[in-house]
Amino acid sequence: MQNTKQKKFSMLPYLFHYTGHYILGIAVLMLVDLASLYIPQYIGEIIDGLTAGALDYAGVKSLLLKILCAGLIMMAGRFGWRYFIIGASRGIEYRMRNDLFAHLETLSARFFNSHKTGDLMAHFTNDLQAIRMAAGMAVITTFDAVVMTVMVLIKMIFYVDFRLTVLAFVPLILVAVGCYFYGIESKKRQTKRQEAFSHLSDKVQESLAGIRVLKAFVQEDADFKSFEEASTASMEKNLSVVKLRAIFGPALDAVTGISLLLNLVFGGKMVLSGQISIGQFVAFNSYIGMLVWPMIACGDCINAFSQASAAFGRIAAIFREEPDIVDKYLTQSLDFSLPDEDNEPNPDSLHLEGDITLNHLTFTYPDGDTPVLKNVDLHIQPGEMLGILGRTGSGKSSLADLLLRVYDCDKGMLLLDGRPIDEIPLAVLHRDMAYVPQDNFLFSDTLEENIAFGLEERIQDHPELRESIHRAAMDACIHDNIMDFPEDYLTLVGERGVTLSGGQKQRSSIARALLKDSAVLILDDSLSAVDTDTEEQILENLMRLRKNKTTIVIAHRISTLQKADHIAVLEEGELTEYGTHEELVALGGFYAHINEKQQLEQQLKEM
Amino acid sequence: MSKLTDDKTESNYQGSALMRLLSYMKPYIGWVTLCLVLVLALTFFDLYRPTLIGDAIDLFKVRGDYDIIVNTSVKYGIVLILSLIFNITQTWVLQKTGQRIILTVRKDLYAHIQSLSSRFFDLTPVGKLVTRVTNDVEALDEMYSGILVRLFRNIVKIIGLAVVMLVLDRKLALFSFILLPLVAALTVLFRWIARKTYRVTRTRLTDLNTFLSENISGMRIIQIFGREKRKYEEFNDKSRKLYNAYYREMIVFAIFRPLIYILSIFSLMIVLGLGSREVLGGAISIGTLYVFAQYIQSFFDPIQELAEQFSTLQSSLASAEKIFTIMDEDALVPEAEDPVILPEIKGRIEFDHVWFAYDNENYVLRDVSFVIEPGQKIAFVGATGAGKSSILNLIGRYYDIQKGHIYIDGVDIRLLSKKQLRSAIGQMQQDVFIFEGTVESNIRLYDENITINEVKAAAEYVNASHFIEKLPHGYEEPVSERGATFSAGERQLLSFARTLAHKPSILVMDEATANIDTETELLIQEALEKLMKDRTTIMVAHRLSTIQHADCIMVMHKGKIRERGTHQELLAQNGIYKKLYELQIHHAVTA
Repeated sequence: MQNTKQKKFSMLPYLFHYTGHYILGIAVLMLVDLASLYIPQYIGEIIDGLTAGALDYAGVKSLLLKILCAGLIMMAGRFGWRYFIIGASRGIEYRMRNDLFAHLETLSARFFNSHKTGDLMAHFTNDLQAIRMAAGMAVITTFDAVVMTVMVLIKMIFYVDFRLTVLAFVPLILVAVGCYFYGIESKKRQTKRQEAFSHLSDKVQESLAGIRVLKAFVQEDADFKSFEEASTASMEKNLSVVKLRAIFGPALDAVTGISLLLNLVFGGKMVLSGQISIGQFVAFNSYIGMLVWPMIACGDCINAFSQASAAFGRIAAIFREEPDIVDKYLTQSLDFSLPDEDNEPNPDSLHLEGDITLNHLTFTYPDGDTPVLKNVDLHIQPGEMLGILGRTGSGKSSLADLLLRVYDCDKGMLLLDGRPIDEIPLAVLHRDMAYVPQDNFLFSDTLEENIAFGLEERIQDHPELRESIHRAAMDACIHDNIMDFPEDYLTLVGERGVTLSGGQKQRSSIARALLKDSAVLILDDSLSAVDTDTEEQILENLMRLRKNKTTIVIAHRISTLQKADHIAVLEEGELTEYGTHEELVALGGFYAHINEKQQLEQQLKEM
Repeated sequence: MSKLTDDKTESNYQGSALMRLLSYMKPYIGWVTLCLVLVLALTFFDLYRPTLIGDAIDLFKVRGDYDIIVNTSVKYGIVLILSLIFNITQTWVLQKTGQRIILTVRKDLYAHIQSLSSRFFDLTPVGKLVTRVTNDVEALDEMYSGILVRLFRNIVKIIGLAVVMLVLDRKLALFSFILLPLVAALTVLFRWIARKTYRVTRTRLTDLNTFLSENISGMRIIQIFGREKRKYEEFNDKSRKLYNAYYREMIVFAIFRPLIYILSIFSLMIVLGLGSREVLGGAISIGTLYVFAQYIQSFFDPIQELAEQFSTLQSSLASAEKIFTIMDEDALVPEAEDPVILPEIKGRIEFDHVWFAYDNENYVLRDVSFVIEPGQKIAFVGATGAGKSSILNLIGRYYDIQKGHIYIDGVDIRLLSKKQLRSAIGQMQQDVFIFEGTVESNIRLYDENITINEVKAAAEYVNASHFIEKLPHGYEEPVSERGATFSAGERQLLSFARTLAHKPSILVMDEATANIDTETELLIQEALEKLMKDRTTIMVAHRLSTIQHADCIMVMHKGKIRERGTHQELLAQNGIYKKLYELQIHHAVTA
């Protein structure tokens, strides 16, 4: 792809958007840290004062008030940094999520074929989460840890004693280093544990889905053995994570204890020799406690940032994917008039007639090595109905892909209304072509919304559309079924609604395409799950509705094709037969053979 | 069965679930006791450590002897080392025990699911069962290896703290506790709010993920229909709702945590305020004041943790209830108490006035009787729902009949061993299930007694070897159900090989109606003829060739056998068969 045009995807714009949040958040954070230092000091002062007998109850009261002030500042501050920085990280996540989805929408089938849905979903969940954690909690923790460490150390050195500070701090550094390595090792083990668990899930899923087969072949015991292996493996991986934790947690505690012990031994000696006061000694103990958390945080933060940077790399790789099916009119001269001043052609100014020319069309999928279409020459007149017959893998659906520009073929091999297809704006192409896909994909939305999917107008703004939706449903012979559903056209499709049968899905997606009433209609094996009577009815409606409009019907069944103006037979990517039903039957080739076979089959249907 | 479909009844298990969970701990009672003892010791150490320092402070004041400090330090050091050892031991033993129990529960559950009847699997989605075996069992781990002990530890800690404080100074202790009920109440309130916000967040997250997964798979359609903008708006809407939910969650936490914090400051002020008055009045020592100041802070964490642990315990119990509901499901097709083992199954099948319904009184078979002699081939024809497939399922005893008898070689199948019965039957379903593994493992299907040569011979015999040998790795080719690399015809051939390799004496077949290309179709027909040779065969047939070759055709209509005979006889009878047949031919000619 063109490297010069490559967009740089960077974290900075997202961060800049929340500059204010971050500055305020960090300022508040520092205030909290500062305030938190004073509480142990005031406690120390109370104890000292009482010990020395220098403090009366009024003095205690004023110190208590100071503690209260510090506490209130901390309360407000703790709310503040959460609000500013966690809020910002949520915002960044939200923006990035939307940008990622918008970008995915521009990518072509080539991209989606090589990226599994599950993997792409993981970018939205795991990767964005890693980035959010870094932008939120890790930022807070880092600043907090650094500021806290510095301030506590300063307090320890100046309020108590330098040598004592060095002694107490050395074991704590161990904590930071330990946490860092613990994070790495624990992540490794967690991943393995997760793998073992998914393996177990897969195993159970598969065995239970195939339980009837297992029972039929009396293999329950053997299956149980392999289940046992998978669950034992999962247990062992769990234990390997636990083992690490079982040692690390108590060890952490022990290291902190060592610091306290050192203070007791050496600090205690200093108290006795009068170098520090008992109050200082007490405060020092609290300070050590305050240092533990920043040390743990240090290790965690490094890990959080490194995970985020890996996640960011994966997301950036997606953003670097160039959309390869794009409008090329900005760089090409066009022969249709441009009403607008700028170079943006108005889709309203161009309408497809439905004249399709295949000119020595040869096509190989981007990731394939053998062509799926070879030197196909074909002309479809506007208003014609063309049937295409062929075995699985003969190139029928590839032809549909090319006409819909799911993929691009070489220049000039495919012409619409005499123009190379890539010179027609995508908006025009998508508006003037209707398509019934093989897999009958419906969205989990109401049936009404699904059928109206191809319309520009929204139903809620144009309730009068309902009439034409019902019309299209009737033409696709799905209206009666829909009326039988609990909430007729408002019935939800999919998991939380009714489960449509294959035939019902097909007919709904035919209705969706018919409603567009566009210049070209492509049906890709769209009547296979419909019974013969209904098929006949739908074909009749098609003939009536598609008069003077181009229609391409791809099918396995002769009954679907025989009424087409012309029928093309594809065999291994080549156009081998072409003509009307009668001509092809008379020809005695592949078409005639299939015709004969299917008539025989018909005789035994439903017996 | 209603237990499964009706979630309300699951709550019946509430009380007993905990007892049942605890009963799984029985074999590990020694280890669990050890853990509890260690926890007691650790809690004691936790409480002991600040008092050591407190003592030291008092000692500084009173005497100022360095030996005392050394003495205290040594004590402190010993406590530290013991804590380390106890902690590691306790965590490790407990986790290991927990994991062992999980494994046991999981195995029990899985073995029980395996033993359940086909009826159960008809009614229960596989996904639900998978969740029970995996996630729900995993959720119990929290309870065994975490919650129970931590709950114990926190309760001991709270009681311990309270007792020590009360002993040190009753009045000061009571005053220190003033705010604790407020902390507890606030924590419970927070838990309640947090759970509600979590639930909203989770719903919205699921919404967004469902939307994503659907629209990424449907991106092709979105682009072909030029609907990118509208879908982006929908996505943005869901994305924003999720953002708002997270935002609310953040605010809830941002308010709660600081609130608890300020309460801890108030408690500290109470302790210090009242405490210093007592110190000034000479009622308590400064060391005691120090201990109080430390302890009052230590109260806050266990109280909050307790609330958290109770809610985790609740969700563990909810998982446990779901697990036990399945464990209590009865096997509807029980094995005979003293099953008859036949030396050999010859393949004589008799249905004697069989009535059968999947549920209640909706009979799908009504008074069906027939006899199939060993080696005979019988084809069932009829409209969908006529009861053909049910007959096939009954022979392998995947369901039990309500009235009448089914005999295999003259023995009622309810008296036979299910294992022997099913081993003798080669059951071929319409849709062929491919297990993760290789082509070879799919033919062998876990049965180690089948040699690779037998696998190959079986594949060869049923014409499957052609396409298998063309695969890059032949019989070692990795395959999976979701991999779906085989055509419908190839899957059929593979299942023929699988069936043949297990050498059944009865063949039960639901003929596939899928579109199969002509060449494979020929291979399948040839293979079928070979398979049926010398075997009692009972099938639901769609192909004219298979129907015509049957020794007897039974025409099913609304759960009854209405006509029986050969193809020619039935045509001559001028009944349903004839009508069906003619209708089809007529249709084919005019269409």
